[in-house]
Amino acid sequence: MSEPLEKQARDGPILEASGLVKDYWMGPSRLRVLQGVSLSVARGEFLCVLGPSGSGKSTLLHLLGLLDRPTEGRVVFEGQDAFDRPKRWRDRMRNEAIGFVFQFYYLMPDLTVLGNTLLPAMVRTPAVVWPFARHRYRREALGVLKDLGLGERVGHLPNELSGGERQRAAIARALVHRPRVLFADEPTGNLDSATGAEIMKVLQRLNRKGGLTVVMVTHDERIARQADRVLHLQDGRLQGGG
Amino acid sequence: MEQSWMATPWVIAALAGAGLIALGLGALVLTTSVYKHVICTKYLFSGWKAVVPLVSAMPAALGVFLLILVFAIMDGFAQDTREVTRGTLADIIVDAHFEGLPYYDDFAARIEKIDCVEVATPVVQTFAMVRVKPRFPAVRATVQPCLLIGIRPGEKALVGRFQQYLQRQKVPEDDPSKAALFPADQLLTVPPAFAEAQRERGIPVRPGAVVGIGLVSYPVKEVKAQTVDVSTVVILAWSLVGVLALGAAAVGYRAMRRYGHTTPAAWLAALYLLVVPAIGAALLAARGVGLLFPADPPFPSPKLTMAGSSGETWLTWGGVAALAIVWIVAAVLVFLSRERRFFWLRPVGLMHFLGGAAALLAFWSSGLQYGPHRVEQEQVVDELAVPYGGEIVVSTIPISARGAIGIEAGGVPKVNTRALTLVDTFKSGFWESDASHVYVDFGVAQALAGMDGRPAAGPDESAAPARASQIQVKVRDPARSAAIVERIRDAWRQFVADRPDAAAMVSVNTWETQQKTILGVVEMEKNITALMLGMMFLGFGVLIALISYVMAYIKSRDVGILKALGARDVGVGSLFLGYGFIVGLLGTAAGLVGALLMIHYLDPIEVWVNQTLHTDVFPRTTYYFEHIPRHLSAAWCVGVSLSVLALSTLASLAGGLLAAIKQPVETLRNE
Repeated sequence: MSEPLEKQARDGPILEASGLVKDYWMGPSRLRVLQGVSLSVARGEFLCVLGPSGSGKSTLLHLLGLLDRPTEGRVVFEGQDAFDRPKRWRDRMRNEAIGFVFQFYYLMPDLTVLGNTLLPAMVRTPAVVWPFARHRYRREALGVLKDLGLGERVGHLPNELSGGERQRAAIARALVHRPRVLFADEPTGNLDSATGAEIMKVLQRLNRKGGLTVVMVTHDERIARQADRVLHLQDGRLQGGG
Repeated sequence: MEQSWMATPWVIAALAGAGLIALGLGALVLTTSVYKHVICTKYLFSGWKAVVPLVSAMPAALGVFLLILVFAIMDGFAQDTREVTRGTLADIIVDAHFEGLPYYDDFAARIEKIDCVEVATPVVQTFAMVRVKPRFPAVRATVQPCLLIGIRPGEKALVGRFQQYLQRQKVPEDDPSKAALFPADQLLTVPPAFAEAQRERGIPVRPGAVVGIGLVSYPVKEVKAQTVDVSTVVILAWSLVGVLALGAAAVGYRAMRRYGHTTPAAWLAALYLLVVPAIGAALLAARGVGLLFPADPPFPSPKLTMAGSSGETWLTWGGVAALAIVWIVAAVLVFLSRERRFFWLRPVGLMHFLGGAAALLAFWSSGLQYGPHRVEQEQVVDELAVPYGGEIVVSTIPISARGAIGIEAGGVPKVNTRALTLVDTFKSGFWESDASHVYVDFGVAQALAGMDGRPAAGPDESAAPARASQIQVKVRDPARSAAIVERIRDAWRQFVADRPDAAAMVSVNTWETQQKTILGVVEMEKNITALMLGMMFLGFGVLIALISYVMAYIKSRDVGILKALGARDVGVGSLFLGYGFIVGLLGTAAGLVGALLMIHYLDPIEVWVNQTLHTDVFPRTTYYFEHIPRHLSAAWCVGVSLSVLALSTLASLAGGLLAAIKQPVETLRNE
């Protein structure tokens, strides 16, 4: 990367989307879920996209998180046009720079909490290196789990945990590799209000104390209010611009 | 023909290729992301999903098992047929047909001078009729076609396995000291007792003959006792105990490895699984050293049965009952534990179930009597219609050196007839020979076939030299037979050049070429069977592919999670490919071990099946072999195992491709 690009990547917005369009085909009929969404996310910002069910929130998050490819438009991640880069680059970004938290946790049911937390490290580490790197990764994962109050639950399988604990385990997995952006898709949607509030506190703490950029989508206005900035998504369009 | 398969170039090339592939695979496994190893292991040995690889491995195991077992038996048939055919004939046959070859001794001497040739012996061979008058007065004489073979018994015994196929004068392989009782050069000599009996009846002593068992006997079914070692069950019992102990250790290890958390159910199951093999091992060991019961008498029972004494019966069934009680109590305790909802769906639960079943089997088998057993089995025995020393009559039509049939006055073909003394019977196991061969002394056969030498009858007629139909040759290294055939052909050309009056239509072939029709049929049967099993295995491949596809479909959420965490499409696809490879490996190993055990213990298993199902899986009347033939080819075992492994890995491409092309958002968008 050249010097001006590096500076732009360091100082400019961490994430920019422009003219994002996403179509799904259901047989012969086309369903346009996003209709030209543009937005920008600053470093260290806590951005919340608020919208009702079916407004395209999750689709937008998947495009921003490089999980899916837009029909039109572009996503610039740290100064680089993500969909101009090879797929391998986007895979690497998801592994090293991005963390995901989902509404339904999506923990691997066969792995313990510690195993799930180590998963990003396992994805990027060759088997031959693992015996040497394992202890360091394990120490880091245990540190994150302890911070999130799961120190006593590391050996449990996901189905032995409560909903809040599962979501905290999912956050630990998203944080262990120190990502630059955390994408959270309705992280409290499947939790009772007390547990939801607890999870929000964790995210706020990570954002304010750790300087982590958080992009969250939700349909709950009370949850959205806790973010630095709220964007309203309605029928695939951002209300009032990004 | 014994062949060193290790010495064949293609095996070396294949081994080198396999080694390179193994190295490549090893490198791939080491350099690939570790998550594939972890997730693959979890899929294989974790929870209810552990059933899926077991089910997936079954077609591979069954395929390997059937391909190796059936092929070993078919190959056994082929090999035995080849061995018997070769034993009846010789490595190389110089065939001069019915017209015969003059100066055969001179030519045989020249053949013996060729490198690698051990013995060359002339043989007379012609078609004949044999008349057999059974010893029972009410039964009429039978007349059957036969092949009259004139041999020099001392030389013939060196050329093939002639003496080993004799019923009376055979020298047991485990007791060569008896060779002195039956000198090879006197195998056709009428023993003094037989000669004396003939003299007493006022008839001259007739030349001896060895007759194929099928010509002078009739098959009788008879229940015959034989000794069979049925120790297999004990080996299996020990194996089960071993597997159980390993399983217990694995469960215990797993219970300890769960960070900061150990389920009571896991510990309970581990403890239980350790106790069961310990009891089983103690029981087996106690029986083995005779602590519990007095040693079995040599033949405790005429049949393979459950425990003979009441004490053993009580202990066996008591053990089974006690184990069942322990099992039920453990199950109840586990059910009452706080993890009851999931216990049966976890490896611990699965091990509990499988371990219990294996332990029950181990206990049951420990009650079986083992060691050498005398078992009664219906067998076919050959009842001689003519006793040794009895008379048979052979008639043949002599053929001149020019191929002409002698004609008597009135245009009737000339027939030579001779009464012979039955000195032995011939049973190679190859029915074609056993039902047609009649061996007599070389000179006797020459006289009968009109091949004996005649002096010149007058000044206008030259003397007719004696002739032989064949010269049979034994070589030191059968692998070089083809080359020696060429050298014998050269020697023949030289011989004819030296002695123009010896010219005759001669063919020189190895025994395989000579018998290619029969051997070809057996080989074809073997190949067709292998082909059919191979086709069946392709069906198994489809099944493995389906299982792999379903597995990947069920696991599509995991695929989405892994891709969201940065795993590459190819990486996730290869995870399922590796899964298929390991499943194939497990299946191949299981099938291979099963097939090898089955082949090794085929006889006791056959006895057990016959007695349990009251059937005869290998009727001796049909096959005429004493045991189910078998021949295990290492190359075939390796080939089948590698093919099955490759096929199951390829079949897993179905799941691998599905996982690779699956978009993560498809599975993560909605629950």
